Amino acid sequence: MADVVILGAGVAGHTAALHLNRLLPSGHTVTVVSPNSWWNWIPSNIWVGVGKMPREAVVFELPPVYAAKGIRFRQARAVAIRPEGDAESPRGAVDIVRTDADHKGEVERIHYDYLINATGPRLRFDLTPGLGPDNGHTVSVCTVDHAVQAAARLRETIERLREGLPQTLVVGMGHGRCTCEGAAFEYVFNVDHELREAGVRDRARLVYLTNEARLGDFGVDGLTFDHRGFQTSSELWTSSLYRERGVEAIVGAHVHRVDPGVISYETLDGDRQELDFDFAMLMPPFGGASLHAFDGEGADITSQLFAPNGFMRVDADYFPKPYEQWRGTDWPSTYQALGHRNIFAVGIAFAPPHQISRPRASPIGTVIAPSAPRTGMPSGVMGKTAALTITDRIKHGDDRPAHQASMARMGAATVASAGTGLRRGSAATMTMMPVVPDYRTYPTGRDLADTRGEIGLSGHWAKVLMHHLFMYKAKGRPGWHLIPE
Amino acid sequence: MSHETYSPALDLGAAPVPTGRTLRMRQNLPYQAFRFVAFSLRMFRMVLKRHV
Repeated sequence: MADVVILGAGVAGHTAALHLNRLLPSGHTVTVVSPNSWWNWIPSNIWVGVGKMPREAVVFELPPVYAAKGIRFRQARAVAIRPEGDAESPRGAVDIVRTDADHKGEVERIHYDYLINATGPRLRFDLTPGLGPDNGHTVSVCTVDHAVQAAARLRETIERLREGLPQTLVVGMGHGRCTCEGAAFEYVFNVDHELREAGVRDRARLVYLTNEARLGDFGVDGLTFDHRGFQTSSELWTSSLYRERGVEAIVGAHVHRVDPGVISYETLDGDRQELDFDFAMLMPPFGGASLHAFDGEGADITSQLFAPNGFMRVDADYFPKPYEQWRGTDWPSTYQALGHRNIFAVGIAFAPPHQISRPRASPIGTVIAPSAPRTGMPSGVMGKTAALTITDRIKHGDDRPAHQASMARMGAATVASAGTGLRRGSAATMTMMPVVPDYRTYPTGRDLADTRGEIGLSGHWAKVLMHHLFMYKAKGRPGWHLIPE
Repeated sequence: MSHETYSPALDLGAAPVPTGRTLRMRQNLPYQAFRFVAFSLRMFRMVLKRHV
């Protein structure tokens, strides 16, 4: 009988847990370790962050779901991986520190036969002084509690606008190496929608501040669409939306620090600027979870398993090379950790070989380049892929080949939706195939048949539908596995 | 809060502005229903291409 341990209960980890539980014969165990007791459909945090959706609509408690399915759950934070086990057992093990109220701070060691690292991002607000809701002066929508705070601050800002006070609202990226530009893009147009609904848009200055060198980059080097017989860039497409909605845009920016009411930033041309603000939602850069690794003798092997940024090394090509030599084949396809057939890293937890966007730096060497996005649909697919590989190996032998799902061969969708209701919402919808461009196969890097951008009410319906489908799926309701990742 | 800080915002003056017809079509229920079906089919095709 095999024991599978999954670190993290986000989209990737939870998807893997549900599939393993469904596919493995009885007798094998699946244990999920997560510092939180709830699951959060993060894409809908955007709506929570403008007060259009309550917290309860985007989260649910995991223990009852896992109890019903026979999945073991430890509310805990993983701190160390021991791939070769310890003095008592050669089986791999993870050290965890409990975070639930009854066992807070207790240390436990769990042995595994297979391990999935799906720890998600560490929100590195600390990399920009003054950034973030806890020790800084900006808000965030990265967690549901951050989003609740953001909504409250936005309401206060709107109240001041109603009193006749002009306000500057800034939405964007809080560091030159941030990712998730799509989330900031969605949030800025939700804020615009709220200001218009409140009848105060004319008194508000709304600014999108981003590390993208061009609008529409989205951390994936931009997109090319076939629009009525012409190849149109996502830059032109998004620029039209910013102009139509009166949203100012500052691109190629690295935020150095945030003081009360002032953002200090540097742009790709080397200029140092300051931007006053009354309300700011700035995304933090992501880092890997603070996991250490030790060999059987107890020696620290963290640098063998993890890149310096804390993400786990997998079957990618990490050999440094210039942008012109980047290939889709650099990207991992099995998510198997280097040198360990029984360890996988999925979702944000794996170390990407490089960015997808062209790397850029300011004249003084400040790197201003979006990191590679690997959230949402790709995360779920990676989780399922690791689950399928582990299931095969448990059922049919450890020599079975790994299943594959490279971001260079899978698509993704971004739906930036504003408003509520079936008649009054609107959305900018983008699909791309593949996520990592392949210029050898496609002249524009991606399949034009599946790489599209459009604006309209239908995208809003799609986002509402996805919200309900993915909440249903995550709760493991009947037929959940028929809903694709 | 002061609004006098200089910020090098992009000049979006050359970006295309949607016409009134385009804006109406973005909210037109029959047309948007068609677009919703088209989006759903595209997503389905993308899922099939993943071979997972």
